Amino acid sequence: MENLEAARLQMALTLIFHIVFACIGMVMPFFMVISHFKWLKTRKKIYLELTKAWQRGVAIFFVTGAVSGTALSFELGLLWPEFMKHAGPIIGMPFSLEGAAFFVEAIALGFYLYGWKKLPEKFHWFTGVIIGISGVASGILVVAANGWMNSPSGFDYENGVFSNIRPMQAMLNEAWFTQALHMTLAAFVATGFAVAGIHAFQIYKGKRKELHKKAFNIAISIAAVAAILQPISGDLSAKDIAERQPAKLAALEAHYETEKGAPLYIGGIVDEENQEVNYKIEIPDALSFLAFGDFDAEVKGLNDFPKDEQPPVAIVHYAFQLMVALGTLLALAGILYFLSLKWRNWQNSKKYWLLFVILAPLGFVALEAGWIVTEVGRQPWIIYNIMKTKDAVTPMPGIFYSLIMYVSIYLLLTFVVSWLMWRQIRVLNQTQD
Amino acid sequence: MLTVVLFFLFFSLFLYVLLAGADFGAGIIELFSSRKNQEVTKKTVYRVMGPIWEANHIWIIILIVILWIAFPAYYNIFVVYLHIPITLMLLGITMRGVAFIFRHYDAIKGKSQGWYNHLFKLGSFFSPLFLGMIFGGLVGGSINLFEENSSLGFKELYLDSWLNPFSILIGLFYVALCAFIAANFLIGEASENEEQHTYKKKASYATIVLVLLGFVILLYGYFNEIAFVADFIENKLSVIAIIISALVLIPLWIMIKKREKRWSRILAAVQVFLIVAAAMLAHFPDVIITSTKEISILSEVASTSVIDSLGIALIIGGLVILPGLFHLMRSFQLIKLFK
Ligand code: HDD
Ligand code: HEM
Ligand code: HEM
Repeated sequence: MENLEAARLQMALTLIFHIVFACIGMVMPFFMVISHFKWLKTRKKIYLELTKAWQRGVAIFFVTGAVSGTALSFELGLLWPEFMKHAGPIIGMPFSLEGAAFFVEAIALGFYLYGWKKLPEKFHWFTGVIIGISGVASGILVVAANGWMNSPSGFDYENGVFSNIRPMQAMLNEAWFTQALHMTLAAFVATGFAVAGIHAFQIYKGKRKELHKKAFNIAISIAAVAAILQPISGDLSAKDIAERQPAKLAALEAHYETEKGAPLYIGGIVDEENQEVNYKIEIPDALSFLAFGDFDAEVKGLNDFPKDEQPPVAIVHYAFQLMVALGTLLALAGILYFLSLKWRNWQNSKKYWLLFVILAPLGFVALEAGWIVTEVGRQPWIIYNIMKTKDAVTPMPGIFYSLIMYVSIYLLLTFVVSWLMWRQIRVLNQTQD
Repeated sequence: MLTVVLFFLFFSLFLYVLLAGADFGAGIIELFSSRKNQEVTKKTVYRVMGPIWEANHIWIIILIVILWIAFPAYYNIFVVYLHIPITLMLLGITMRGVAFIFRHYDAIKGKSQGWYNHLFKLGSFFSPLFLGMIFGGLVGGSINLFEENSSLGFKELYLDSWLNPFSILIGLFYVALCAFIAANFLIGEASENEEQHTYKKKASYATIVLVLLGFVILLYGYFNEIAFVADFIENKLSVIAIIISALVLIPLWIMIKKREKRWSRILAAVQVFLIVAAAMLAHFPDVIITSTKEISILSEVASTSVIDSLGIALIIGGLVILPGLFHLMRSFQLIKLFK
């Protein structure tokens, strides 16, 4: 395997791994403090038990997120030294603020985990809220750095030299807001459905229904709201890249020819060689409307870009279709949940719970697919229209071995963490109501 | 503002060496303890270090972020030529980090505990070893730049820089330093006389190893003409710092005897500070020494606008974080300055 390929795979793999833990680290604290709040309000033991169970989860996920994040912060330089040499100073702002947010999070976590019975109750609860807020803040900040790679700004560029750097402007690049909004919602959708699904499974099996229903309700009510908002935010993102990164839009819609009144393709198999999409459903003019709000607008096709500036089409197109399909499905599931609050007897059906069990992993699948759209859709650029990925890679050969190492460790960790969660639930279920 | 940035760079370096050092050291002590003492150490460490455990390890992230923002050219050499030991260090940090949490949060305390313990102890030994080797690699004069000699192979470029006796000695020195910090830290926390006695013994072993390794490094460096050691011996400030740090050992031992928990900790921290300062002063600002030249960290600094905004971010961040961190330590009685 070539060095560049290995480096790309390693970057992708470590990010795909980290993002799961990061999202859980961002969202679980909110669920935990809601349950904690209910315990303080109602003094029902069951909420205390749930809070403590979730707290263990937060601790395990937090640390796995933190160590994989620490590895990532080195990896950016280890794998892409040329990129960091130039981009580091420019996107330093979000990263240094992110460092501050991590610190706040870690301090709050220290107070929260070790503060039971030692700190005043309200203050203790509040440190839990801070964990959540600073987690979301750090997520937004890294995504702002990623937004800069998609929409570089805040510097002048001439003959390969970056000058007149304006860090604030680089951080508040054109992509940051839509990306951060979409990502934050995605974190709530993915984690919410996953947590709800785990508890739905316990209810399905008839274990400790009272406890698991309370947990399910906390998780799903937040996830459902986020899932209903997600397509709206996704539409904003799509309109954004139509302006900013037309090649990415063309790739995710698999459009080869520039057209006015472009149709939207649903499904279909991409034939990269003959530049065709077979077996698709076409909705006339819809793409022009979705991308530019005008049924007649011109949508650029991939053939308008030089061959060596076209992203891989098939994978981006499939990932995009998958994300949108799952997004629609999860939004419908969100609506279903709210309806089930009115028609309570739905919840007596086993099928209802089975449905949420099946939905559990899908939020994360959509989230990873979305990142593949964003990252692979940017190729061959590491900094859009400025620096190519192949020019940024480390000169050190043999990244393949490092890739193997990361693959084995992260597989092992995935396995161990899942096993630990399973043990948590088993112990939780053994306690009697 | 550059001064502010440099201040935070050294501040986070010092705190990482000290606080993460104490944490690594606890694992190293476990590694060299009898089974019964291991259990005790494990519990004490969890009680004392637990609350600040996460925060301790963020200093290295701050450190690396400052490096890449403010000193990109320097950072570039660091990540290209020391790729392998950095990766190995990350491996160690990952393993011990997850093991530390798994062993306390696994819902069922069974056989798996043994695995977590092994991982934790080994990770605790290897992470600081590689960290020290990275530093040794930076200043050991063994980095071969490919701009200078295009015929070099993998070994000359990516292994010789860090896999050499000098780096290994520096790595072991840091391992001993970690054990020293942790032992001094734990003496104050031990509840019974017997435990205190074991930690005292560990502390004295660590001190002896530390002093011996220090000498060996100086001798080895002197006879092998390692630029860093030559600079070190010629630099008055670093020699003074090292002499003071040796002298501080005396009051440190008196305080330990008297069971002055507060003072013995402060003095141990002073020790570490003096060692870090001596190493830095020896050749600042030329903090990379390659086989042909010394490269100043200040030679290619990011532009003023970048440095200014970073400085402001660090000051604001510092104002938020340091009181919070201090409050955290005080709440859990890690610092007893105000009682
Ligand atoms: C739960 C996860 C999830 C769900 C249900 C959706 N998305 Fe998404 N999407 C993401 C998770 C995500 C993401 C992983 O978070 C991305 C990657 C980068 C980003 O900002 O968000 C993303 C990126 C992303 C992009 C590329 C943005 C860019 O490159 O700047 C577009 C155009 C969309 N999404 C559009 C949609 C649409 C139209 C959806 C309709 C239902 C949708 N997404 C649902
Ligand atoms: C979309 C991408 C990312 C998101 C949303 C994200 C978010 C987060 C969050 C919320 C945490 C807190 C840990 C937790 O609560 O579990 C975290 C940890 C961390 N992330 Fe990421 N991250 C992303 C990508 C990255 C990248 C690319 C880097 C590398 C520069 C990085 C570096 C880190 C570091 C160093 C930590 C550990 C901080 C600690 O010790 O607590 N992250 N990330
Ligand atoms: C966590 C969510 C993310 C995922 C799943 C993800 C996924 C990927 C993938 C699949 C690639 C390889 C693309 C290719 O070469 O074809 C990649 C590359 C890369 N990503 Fe991301 N990414 C994420 C977030 C981020 C963030 C937040 C940053 C930076 C702040 C980032 C920085 C990079 C860099 C520097 C590369 C290598 C250069 C490149 O291939 O363009 N990524 N990522």
